[in-house]
Amino acid sequence: MVSFWSLPLFGALHRCGAGSLLTTHLQSGPESSARSASPSEPAFPDAPSTLHVMKSTMQLRGLMTIIRDRSTSRADFVFYADRVIRLLIEEGLNFLPFREHTVITPTDSSYEGLAFTGRVCGVSIMRAGEAMEKALRECCRSIRVGKILIQRDESTAQPKLFYAKLPPDIADRHVLLLDPMLATGGSAIKAVEVLIEQGVPEDRIIFINLVAAPEGVLAFSKRFPHTHIITAEVDDSLSTSKHIMPGLGDFGCRYFGTDE
Amino acid sequence: MSSSASRSNSSSPPTSPKNGNGRHKAVFAAGRPPWYTRDGAVKDAFMISCAGGSASGKTTVAQAIISRLNVPWVAVISMDSFYRNLTPEQIAAANRNDHDFDCPEAFDIDLVYESLKKIKKGQPVDIPVYDFTTHSRRPEKQVIYGANVVVFEGIFGLYDERINELMDLRIFVDTDDDVRLARRLKRDISERGRDINGVIEQYNRFVKPSYDNYIRPAIKNAHVIIPRGGDNYIAIDLIAKHIQHQLETRGFNFRQELGRISPCSKLPDTIKVMESRPQLRAMHTLIRNRDTPRDDFVFYSERLFRLLIEEALSHLPFTPCDIVTPTGGTYHGVHSVSNISAVSIVRAGTTIEPAAQAVLKDVKIGKILIQSDIYTNEPQLHFCSLPRSIASSQVLLMDATIATGAAALMAIRVLLDHNVPEENIIFVSLIAAPHGLHTIAAAHPKVTVVVSEVDETLNEAYHIIPGVGNFGDRFFGTD
Repeated sequence: MVSFWSLPLFGALHRCGAGSLLTTHLQSGPESSARSASPSEPAFPDAPSTLHVMKSTMQLRGLMTIIRDRSTSRADFVFYADRVIRLLIEEGLNFLPFREHTVITPTDSSYEGLAFTGRVCGVSIMRAGEAMEKALRECCRSIRVGKILIQRDESTAQPKLFYAKLPPDIADRHVLLLDPMLATGGSAIKAVEVLIEQGVPEDRIIFINLVAAPEGVLAFSKRFPHTHIITAEVDDSLSTSKHIMPGLGDFGCRYFGTDE
Repeated sequence: MSSSASRSNSSSPPTSPKNGNGRHKAVFAAGRPPWYTRDGAVKDAFMISCAGGSASGKTTVAQAIISRLNVPWVAVISMDSFYRNLTPEQIAAANRNDHDFDCPEAFDIDLVYESLKKIKKGQPVDIPVYDFTTHSRRPEKQVIYGANVVVFEGIFGLYDERINELMDLRIFVDTDDDVRLARRLKRDISERGRDINGVIEQYNRFVKPSYDNYIRPAIKNAHVIIPRGGDNYIAIDLIAKHIQHQLETRGFNFRQELGRISPCSKLPDTIKVMESRPQLRAMHTLIRNRDTPRDDFVFYSERLFRLLIEEALSHLPFTPCDIVTPTGGTYHGVHSVSNISAVSIVRAGTTIEPAAQAVLKDVKIGKILIQSDIYTNEPQLHFCSLPRSIASSQVLLMDATIATGAAALMAIRVLLDHNVPEENIIFVSLIAAPHGLHTIAAAHPKVTVVVSEVDETLNEAYHIIPGVGNFGDRFFGTD
C-alpha cells in the first residue's frame, strides 16, 4: 500500500494539464479567497484567468479514474459522477458574491463569517447538463432551474437552439450554467448567448463543467472573457472527430443508460 | 450453563454477548473512566488472582471483593473456561469418572497466559466457552473488553510463574480439607445427581493428589492467604480497601488536565484543516449563528459533513493505475483502498454517518458511546460496537466537535485496543479547539485529524469559543 505522501510526483506523472495545479494550490494559503484560488500557473499554455480547475487531490483523481474507465458499470458511473458533480457544485458556489457577516454563537461569542448576497438560479444544457441538477438541488434547496436544448444543425454543422425555458426574472440572478463536457465549446457558447439575450450580464454566469478540452476552454473564454469556468479536470486535446481525449465518452449516454 | 463434570464455568465479564452476533459489542452498566494516560499510553488493568483447592470458596471470595469495590468495570475470568478439548477416548473416560480434570495439563495454561496478558494491556480478548456436557469448547467465544480490574480465579491460579508475574495481588483461599470435601459431596450429589462412591473415588484419585502436589504448594506465591474462604469478611474487607486505594492512586482528573494544556501557535502536520473558501465560511456562519432555525442548521451541517468526508478520504492511501476511456485514450489515474470503516462517537458523531454512507456505498459503521460524567466531567465509555474487520481497515473516526480532546482520546484508545494501527485512523470533525488538536497529536502522532475549522480557545466550562453550542442538542432538537 502506498501512502499519499510518498507520491509527490503525481502532478508530474499526470500529463493532463490539471496535474500542475497540485503545486499551485499547495502554495495558496488557507486565507485565500475564491478569486485568488484560481491558479497563478495556467492549467495549460495560454489558459485564461477565468478558468478554475479543482484542486487535484488523490480523492478527486480516484473518482475521475472510475468515471473515465470504460469498464466501469453504469451504476458506478452514476454514483461516482454524482459525487464529483456535488464537489463541483460546491466549488462553483464559491464564485457567488458574498459579504462579511458577524454572528453570535450559542456560547455568546461572535463569529466573523460570510453571507452570500444576490439571487441565483441554475440552467442546464440538455441532456447531459441535467445530470448535474440533482447535486445543485442538494446544495441549494428549491433553486429555480432553466433548461436549454441545443443540437447540431445538420445543414450548417453549427449548434442551433431548439428549446429554452428559463426563469422569467433570470436577468436579476446569478446563473450556474451546467454542462459536464466542454469539447469544442460550441453548445456552451450558444447557451451563454441565449442567457445574454435574456439580459444576464456575462460576468454573472458561472459555467460548471466536469471535463474540458483546452480547445473548448480557449474558444469559450475568447468569446466570453468575463465568464468563470469551473471544471474538475482539463484533458490533453480534442481528437480529429472532436472527442475530448482521454475524456470519458458520451456523458449523457453513460449517465442515462441510452447506449445500452 | 449445565455441567455434569467436576466444576462449573463462572466467568462474569462486564460484557453481555451471549451469542455469535454479540461479538465485539460491550455494554457497560456505568461508564468506564479513562484507562490510559494523557500521552495515550494504556494504564494496565489491576490484576488479581485467586487460587485454592476445589470447593474452597474462590468464586465466593472473588464475588465478595467485587461487590465491595462497587465498580462496574470488573471482569472475572474463571480458569474453567480454559479446559482443553477432550479426545473421544478422554470423553468416554470422563463419562466413567475416569478422567483427571484436576491436573495442570487439563488446562490450556499458555492460552490463559496470553489472554491475561492482553486483558492487562486493555485489549479485547476472546475467552473460550467450555461446554461440560461435550467436554469441548463451544464455537462461540466470550469477548472481554473494558475491564479496569480483572479477577482470575481457578485451582491453579498461582501455579504458573508467568501468570503470577502479571498479577498485582495474589490470593490463596485456604479452607480445611474436610470442609472442602463436605461441600464437594453436597454439590456433586444433590446438585449434579452423582452417586457418592463415584464422587469419593474421584476425590481420592484426582482431586486430593492434585491439591497436595500442585495447588497447596503454590501457596508460597500468594501475597495474602484467606483462611476459611468466603466467610472471612474481615479479610475480604481489608483486601477490598487495599485494591480501592491502589485504584485511587492510579486515577487522576483527566479532562481538567487536558483543558490546561496551553496550545502553542502552530498545529502539528497531522492536523489537516480544510481550505477556507467563501462557501465553507458562509455555511459555518449559518450553523454557528445561535438564531439559525433547526432545519437550516441540519441542512448546512449535512452539506459541511459531505465536504468533510470527501476531504478526509483524500488522506487515505492511493495507488497509481492506468485505465482506458471509452474514446480509447489512456488516463493515468489512481485507485483507493476499498476497506474503509466509519466509527462514530455517539451522539454527535452519528450525525456524520449519512455523509459517510452517501460516499462509501457499503461502509461498515461502528459506534462508541462516550458520555461525560455529570459530576466530574470525566469522559466515560458506555458502549462500543465495532465491525469485525476493523483491525484491517482504514477507519474514519467521526465526531462533530473536538473540545478538550478527551472523548477523541478515549475513542482512539478503543480502536487501538482493537488492533487498529494508529496510522490507519483518520479523525474527522467539523470544529475543533486548538487544545484538543494538540492533545490528540501529542498522544497519537500518527493519527490524521481532518477538521473544517479551528476555533480560538476553550472557556472555563471546556466549551469551544466561539464554537457552535451543543452540536448534538441543536442537530437532534433536544435543547
